[in-house]
Amino acid sequence: MISASMLSRSFDGVPAVETLSFEIPEGSLFTLLGPNGAGKTTTVRLLLGLIAPDSGTATVAGYQLGQSNNDLRSVCGLLTETPGFYDRMSAWENLIFFSQLYRIDQTVRDQRIEHHLRAMNLWERRQSLVGTFSKGMKQKLAIIRAVFHDPKVIFMDEPTAGLDPEASVMVREMISKLKGEGRTIVVCTHNLDEAQRLADIVGIINRRLLVCDTLTNLRSGARHTSAIEIELRAPLGDHQLTAMKLPFVKGIDNKDGKYVFEVENPSINTPNLVKALVDSDAQVYAVRPQTRDLETIYLQCVGEGGVDR
Amino acid sequence: MNVSLLFLRKELREVLKNKFVLPVYLVLPPIAVILPVLFAAFSPQIVAIDQNDPAILAILRIVKNTPEFAHMGTDEAITRFFLRSLVSFYLLLPVGLSSISAAFSVVAEKQQRTLEPILATPITDLEFLIGKLLASLVPSIILTWVAAILAAVIVNWITWGKYETALLPEKMSDPQSANQFTGLVIVPAFMILIGIFGKVLTISMSAVAIACVVVVLLVLFLLRLNLKNFQREEILTKWK
Repeated sequence: MISASMLSRSFDGVPAVETLSFEIPEGSLFTLLGPNGAGKTTTVRLLLGLIAPDSGTATVAGYQLGQSNNDLRSVCGLLTETPGFYDRMSAWENLIFFSQLYRIDQTVRDQRIEHHLRAMNLWERRQSLVGTFSKGMKQKLAIIRAVFHDPKVIFMDEPTAGLDPEASVMVREMISKLKGEGRTIVVCTHNLDEAQRLADIVGIINRRLLVCDTLTNLRSGARHTSAIEIELRAPLGDHQLTAMKLPFVKGIDNKDGKYVFEVENPSINTPNLVKALVDSDAQVYAVRPQTRDLETIYLQCVGEGGVDR
Repeated sequence: MNVSLLFLRKELREVLKNKFVLPVYLVLPPIAVILPVLFAAFSPQIVAIDQNDPAILAILRIVKNTPEFAHMGTDEAITRFFLRSLVSFYLLLPVGLSSISAAFSVVAEKQQRTLEPILATPITDLEFLIGKLLASLVPSIILTWVAAILAAVIVNWITWGKYETALLPEKMSDPQSANQFTGLVIVPAFMILIGIFGKVLTISMSAVAIACVVVVLLVLFLLRLNLKNFQREEILTKWK
């Protein structure tokens, strides 16, 4: 549904994003994680055709960037980081105005807006001025604005930023529901918990895309080194430790009688490791892959990628 | 509804609810009605206050030497002179009103963070620019017309009683209409035109026609230039 290839953009000579390449399948939820100023918003603006890339290409919902940006925008929804509305107009008037910009048929438009307002518990407040709304209510309204034209792709920039826990839960539920409807969703956030709860695919960005994979793969380290915890009946002797210096073993640590092996390509090499242990007469009692939480992965990536701005 | 017209409707709604902008719309048009009415009623008295005043003497000299006024009585000629002098005010009115609303609408979109959601819709640059122009110009032009028509009706009612002739439809309405039209399209070049042609506009219809053509061409050129220079990313990334 979204395909980016070597997208780069700089502002006044300062790179904002560099050589971004990724694929997001239809119906999946892609979480773009990164510190402030990492290029998340720039990435969204690039993919929406709001700013042009210096180099690289992207295709969103079948539309190539720069060729038919208005058509591209007609099938995309955007939830900006700070949702802006006309405070002196009612919720209904605001939604009608924006829906007209999408040229939605009036009957369909009114039905959809009513449906979404009811779903968000805002129907009773539809005639209230938006200026009187709380931040959570405005965020709900902004989500409606992002989806009322039935977009195939929805971009959400920090959807729960500044919301109280209750409103955050509500927004996350709404995002899950949208995903359940088969939409492709891109969520920019620096909230790791949110990313863990929502994402099918996680991208960690710090100007460059540092990793991009499914959450499961990132946790198990299927495509990177991973820690394998092995329990033995008896501690390894020196000769046995020497025997464990295999090319795919990047480190050995003894923690409370349990050995933790840092292994490259664990899905392939874990059986080889166990075989080597058994061959050296070690009595293997238990083998457990150590999963890493997203915070560890994130900090590792951002640390390695460097925050150079 | 045409997308550009949506902005007009939306901004009218906003203006009606904005306590800072609405008074401007409510104050200037009444002045455009009251001033000509005062001149229609009291021009001779104004001149009679001090006939030795150099400014009044200069006015009397112009009135006396203008062939068009030769067959009229002094009071009527003086009244016509003052009313004609006011025509420029009807140029100023739409310019003043629209400049306020234009600044309000463009700046406000960015400040209230509605610009990015708008630019993320399938709206074209031309629709957006025309929408903003219409939202800025149409209320100003309508208010100017309303003020001018009201002024014409009241002034004629007064002058018919005094001089048994309607001063505005016959002599003033044509230049006024021309000036109104000029007012419609003159906005970007108003200051230049007033500076260069201001005096000519009030007395020469051919000059008005030429100015109108020049201004229309200028406006089309500027619109094209604006469209070319309109950069969504510039607004999103550089405007503060």
